[in-house]
Amino acid sequence: MKISDYEPIVGRSTIEELKLLATRLSGKVVQNINSTFIGGGVAEILSRMVPLLGELGVDARWNVIKGDEEFFQVTKKFHNALHGRREKVSAQDFSLFLETSQRNIDEMNLYGDIIFVHDPQPVALVKRKKELGRKWIWRCHIDISKPNEEVWDFLQPFVVEYDAAIFSTPAFSRELPIRQFFVPPSIDPLSDKNRGLSPETIDSVLAKYGIPRDKPIITQVSRFDYLKDPVGVIKAFQLVRRSIDSRLVLAGGTASDDPESDKVLAGVRESATGNPDIHILSGPQVSDIEINALQRASTVVVQKSLREGFALTVSEALWKAKPVVASAVGGIPLQVKNKYTGLLVHGIEGTAYALRQLLTNPDYARWLGENGKEHVRHNFLITRHLRDYLLLFLSLGYPGDVIYL
Amino acid sequence: MSENWPDIAIPLAVFLFALIATFWLRRIAYGYLARWAQRVKGQGREILSEATKTPSVLWALIISASLALAVSAVSPEWKDPVWKGLWTLFVLSLAWCGLTLARRFISFYGERFKAPRRATVLTWNVTRIVIIVVAILILLEIWGAPTSPILLLIGVAALVAVLAFRDAFPNLIAWFQLNAGGQVKVGDYIKLETGEEGYISEINWRHTLIKSLDESTVLIANRKLVQSTVINYGRPVKKAKEPFRFYTRMHLKELTGHRAKNLREMADTLKMVPDSVVYYHTHHFLEEHHYLTPEPANDFALWVSDALGDEVLGERLASIDTFEFSTLEALRERLVSIMEEYLALGSNLRDAAEGREFHFVKSVSVILPTPYVAHDLREFVETLRKLSLNSLYFHIFESRLRLGKGLNDFSAWLEDSLVEKELADRIARLDPYTYTLEGLRSSLIQLIEKRIK
Repeated sequence: MKISDYEPIVGRSTIEELKLLATRLSGKVVQNINSTFIGGGVAEILSRMVPLLGELGVDARWNVIKGDEEFFQVTKKFHNALHGRREKVSAQDFSLFLETSQRNIDEMNLYGDIIFVHDPQPVALVKRKKELGRKWIWRCHIDISKPNEEVWDFLQPFVVEYDAAIFSTPAFSRELPIRQFFVPPSIDPLSDKNRGLSPETIDSVLAKYGIPRDKPIITQVSRFDYLKDPVGVIKAFQLVRRSIDSRLVLAGGTASDDPESDKVLAGVRESATGNPDIHILSGPQVSDIEINALQRASTVVVQKSLREGFALTVSEALWKAKPVVASAVGGIPLQVKNKYTGLLVHGIEGTAYALRQLLTNPDYARWLGENGKEHVRHNFLITRHLRDYLLLFLSLGYPGDVIYL
Repeated sequence: MSENWPDIAIPLAVFLFALIATFWLRRIAYGYLARWAQRVKGQGREILSEATKTPSVLWALIISASLALAVSAVSPEWKDPVWKGLWTLFVLSLAWCGLTLARRFISFYGERFKAPRRATVLTWNVTRIVIIVVAILILLEIWGAPTSPILLLIGVAALVAVLAFRDAFPNLIAWFQLNAGGQVKVGDYIKLETGEEGYISEINWRHTLIKSLDESTVLIANRKLVQSTVINYGRPVKKAKEPFRFYTRMHLKELTGHRAKNLREMADTLKMVPDSVVYYHTHHFLEEHHYLTPEPANDFALWVSDALGDEVLGERLASIDTFEFSTLEALRERLVSIMEEYLALGSNLRDAAEGREFHFVKSVSVILPTPYVAHDLREFVETLRKLSLNSLYFHIFESRLRLGKGLNDFSAWLEDSLVEKELADRIARLDPYTYTLEGLRSSLIQLIEKRIK
């Protein structure tokens, strides 16, 4: 993708401003460091952002730390523990993390003027800050508001060495003695998940999964995790069905590292038994384009989570101008302003009520959907994400709240 | 000798008669031409008469001599070279006349259209070469010399010239069209359908130079200009004493670490946080939802309504008119006093549900100049059309309240540098909080366009 490809979407002035900021970073090297080039949300974001930064004229590079299977098993435990999940982390795990980190500290070439470290795996590299100087930023993509304290106490001494930390929502952060910034994640409007599709493509996907378009379609896209409450969605749908004939599509993968995932899927299948209007699409065979098509074919998109991260699936649905009914948890209230860009709900009955409202008032639903799309255009596309990073790189070193460049 | 006198007398008589007749005709023709020139008052007519006056004497002599030769008894072997001589004289005089005419006309029209000297010289050289080459070819034809190789050579040379000037030639023609048509002139403000716009600083035989709004010079091929749809706004209106440099402002959201779960905590925290926090929470909804709704609520009002479920207090906080306040401190005091009054009544002491706490965020503004500069109202309004919303926001909202200027930047410049007090006052009186940002842009453009007209 080229930066100019985004101009018809976000407007010329937005691209001009990105270029204006980028010229101010001329001569600086931004070194991104994470744990993998492939797989996972961070790698996906970096694989898009690094080339775009380069095209804007910023010398952005990307390196990964080295680690064996055991190291990444430990960091996976850290990840879950920071999220607040119960996780048994042993003294051996901590020492393994320190050993591998030390090897990376000794071997890694840290050449950037701005060293941009993503997530906890490479966090310890900051030990070289005293020797090298430079500006160090830690980008935390996970919710650390209620972490496993043992793991947090272990990682915090590294985090506080950074010049700044970035979180996806204010609620994900914690009190720290360093500057903290709030930079929401973003979606790429030109990716397979979000780009425009022809009616033929959408029809072929529906035909492939045997979903007729004879009734309004309600869709929830998310992995089969009890925190996404797919069974709650089915219950809400059954309430809606009492007065409005419609279909429900639940689409998403199962998490291979989550033993409960299969159990949740089994529960969902059981709840849906005997109802031919409930379509369950699970597994990795559902491609990004197919998810895109399912969202575009939907009359209403639901995200009835019990707990959420930022919930980019909501941004994806809003970008397709779909009316959204979503729980007021995690990053969802940042995206759905109740009654302006969608409807916020708190329970099964509320979800059913909101769905009925939208299915019986298509004009209102359309208005919400269009507002939602504009909201995403201005606040949750990759161009805004790029702008925030450029601003952050530029503002490091200026202590005031108003910076003249 | 006496027997041959008619052989001499008749041609001589014919010569003299023809000479008198042609001089008489010449006189009538020039008399008519003079009267016509007086009637139409065109300098071009005078050029025609002056350039042909001397050669026409020669032409009268040639015609008379030709008639005399036709009736003379001179043998054909003598007659033929004399014929050729007369034709040669005629062609040379015609070429001389053509050269004089071309030189005078090119110089006349060059001055009239203020054409650059290079273009005049080029046109003159091309015309001169064409006339001389045509004359030489005719003379060669008269004297029976072979012309085919020369024609071939000329053809090749012409082809080379056409290839070399294939881009320049249509531009030259377009330059003539532009000058003759007079639709655009140096100093006009123009806008092309392709997006280029600015004041025309020069029109040369190949390009038209436009000084665009970001102070760069845009070269547009004349050919493209005549084919394009052009809006011409004409000459500049009054120049400003100082140009207006447009700035833009983008902001980062910095987390303060402060949070509130009830109204008491909100009021207490609000008292101690920096102005940048007050600014963020009273303006961020406007920035994020500028496309959606005028009169956006502040974050405090939204949180009290949504998270504490107190619509009454929410309404009181939302109804604060931000435009009334010229400092953030005064705005903060108003917010806190409403919360304190409410708390004093013991009205709202409930906590927000877990996960719905209020997080105090600080706005960090990064301000930097854009390439756009306006020297007059036309440049100002055209920049306004294409300006980013961040830039518009900065000059209207941020400079007035956050930077504490008390007045938006546009009004200040209009009054100080353009002495447009009435327009400045009108813009200052607009309550920007009652518009969406695009709506505000449209209103400003309308006000300025009205003033220009």
